[in-house]
Amino acid sequence: MWSENEKNILNIILDQLIPKNSKRNIPSAGELGIASFIFDAANKNNNLKDDVVFILDWALTKADKISPCLVRKLEKENPNAFVSLLTETYKGYYSRPDIRQKFGLSKKPVHPSGYLVVSESNDYLAQITDTVRARGPIYRDPTGG
Amino acid sequence: MSNEPVDVLIIGAGASGAAIAWSLIETKMRILCLEQGNHLSDKDFPSRRDDYELSRYAEFSCDPNVRRLKQDYPINSKDSCITPVNWNGVGGSTMNFLAHWPRMRPSDFRTKTLDGVAEDWPVDYYDLEPFYEINDRNVGVSGLSGNPAYPKYSVPNPPIPIGILGQTLAKGFNKLGWHWWPSDVAILSKDDNGRQKCVNAGTCDLGCAAGAKGGANFTYWPILENAGVELRTNARVSEIQVDKVSGLANGVLYYGADGRLNQQKAEIIIMACNGVGTPRLLLNSKSDLFPEGLANNSGLVGKNLMFHPLTGVAGVFDEPMKGHEGPMACSILSQEFYESDSSRGFIRGYGLHSGRSTTPMTFALGGYGIDNPIPWGDEHREIMDNMYPYLAGLTIVTEDLPEEHNCVTLDNELKDSDGIPAPKITYRVSENTKAMIKHGEERAREVLIAAGAKKILSKNDDNVWWRAGWHQMGTCRMGHDPKKSVVNGWGRSHDVKNLFIVDGSIFVTAGAVNPTSTIQALALYIGDQIKKNIGTLFD
Repeated sequence: MWSENEKNILNIILDQLIPKNSKRNIPSAGELGIASFIFDAANKNNNLKDDVVFILDWALTKADKISPCLVRKLEKENPNAFVSLLTETYKGYYSRPDIRQKFGLSKKPVHPSGYLVVSESNDYLAQITDTVRARGPIYRDPTGG
Repeated sequence: MSNEPVDVLIIGAGASGAAIAWSLIETKMRILCLEQGNHLSDKDFPSRRDDYELSRYAEFSCDPNVRRLKQDYPINSKDSCITPVNWNGVGGSTMNFLAHWPRMRPSDFRTKTLDGVAEDWPVDYYDLEPFYEINDRNVGVSGLSGNPAYPKYSVPNPPIPIGILGQTLAKGFNKLGWHWWPSDVAILSKDDNGRQKCVNAGTCDLGCAAGAKGGANFTYWPILENAGVELRTNARVSEIQVDKVSGLANGVLYYGADGRLNQQKAEIIIMACNGVGTPRLLLNSKSDLFPEGLANNSGLVGKNLMFHPLTGVAGVFDEPMKGHEGPMACSILSQEFYESDSSRGFIRGYGLHSGRSTTPMTFALGGYGIDNPIPWGDEHREIMDNMYPYLAGLTIVTEDLPEEHNCVTLDNELKDSDGIPAPKITYRVSENTKAMIKHGEERAREVLIAAGAKKILSKNDDNVWWRAGWHQMGTCRMGHDPKKSVVNGWGRSHDVKNLFIVDGSIFVTAGAVNPTSTIQALALYIGDQIKKNIGTLFD
């Protein structure tokens, strides 16, 4: 139900929302085709669908001119629709395992393996809490204990 | 399924309902628990899925108004700056809580005597101390014994790792000479009794598929079901009924999974629906004897709602803080500013809790419990690539004082899927709390800078976190005086002698700590009192 043209235009807008980081080889939202994620979500959520349709209508006549400045204007004039799109863009982009990995997280689901975090040794904990213990109790005890 | 009368009917299979059921097993009474939600297997938890973060904004949201599952009831929070969050199902909100486990402190039970505010509790720290200890063992608490912010007690399991984030912040606190301590957590640091130790997945709110988190679904319920406690799920209580002659509660009406209304008779009724659900049900249980709602002769049912208003400050460090590794909310805790100090410009105090920095999606959407996406465009890249991995934050957890205008009432129009009126929340943050938050933000900045932060991120507004309504307290408070409280010193209604309340609604004050440890200790204490007074229970 969404045309290829609409998809391309939405991806152009998404590139403005999450641009790429060439140095670290992190792609933009449009490059990843997050528009498809947003269309899928919009097909299940009428409010989001209305917002996406509204933004596409606005963008259709400006496809080759979309710039940060123009997107800023959209944000200012239509804040609710814009936040709705932005929220869904972040969800679509950061739900991808390959993107998660770029930020140091596991590409795999967090269960069952989770992450290895080494426990602090007893000696280390004793040393780092030494000044806290040295102050003695810091609570008020109205009953006298 | 039998609707034969039972000895004890518990409404709610969460933290407090499970704990008191465990306490009462030895009485050999026939115990039935009605739970509006269902029993989720760990295989249903989203942390095994590739797109696990998405569930935080859908079926595993902490906000029932977002989840909108059949077992959830909507909550009207339009007149509140904080919305209640919860989980409706076996384990209750311990399914998706973050398992931070500090106890309340001795002064929390005596705020009237010590600081001239609120009311004193009818119990004190030492009444609850043995029950904290029993509960810590049952739940599998981990931590470092010897915290000088408390009277001496032992923690059953060694601490979970505080990680580079906790170590870094600890150095800041030490530099300033301020209190801090590794957090007590209801999370296993070693395998125990079929439960796996924490794997540091960082998704405690999504159910903990390892079973390391001490949710009542993993701790108490397996024992209870083995012991013959009947758990009836998808059973939503709409009303507690009373006998017109004796004035005692004699049963409940509840909707089953098929949508039909059933009646269940019982000798003793125990409410364990927490600070919003319990007053909602009492206010919906009107009769000739109780036209303003059951057990409400004091007029205090639903009043004095307390949350813990929260805000946060984060610092950007040189090294990656690995905030996504390890339990979400638990690393270290400072109680330097917990007790009253008149020079600070407010009464009572707050804690500084080290939050970890969550996953990229949640951070980009504003943080856990916040709907405020971070900036887009080049600024987005800068924040995500050059700040997010290097963040360590402190959450300011303030003590909320009871005020009657902060309350739970019934909404005139909004209803759940069974047609039961939804709760309406009326709540605002007091000037005292605002002053506390401001003070806390300034102190948090100092610690972060002392710890080596090169940049500080804070909101620069007065708003508290919207989805901070985990801790729902005070709406059926306990006390000796029936005019000033709803239940007595051991959870029994002043007005209905066989009706007990064991959840967060009976708190007199809120402290500035996560309440579940105290909720369960109180439930065990009340169970103990019921056993001690069994011969004269209804006198």
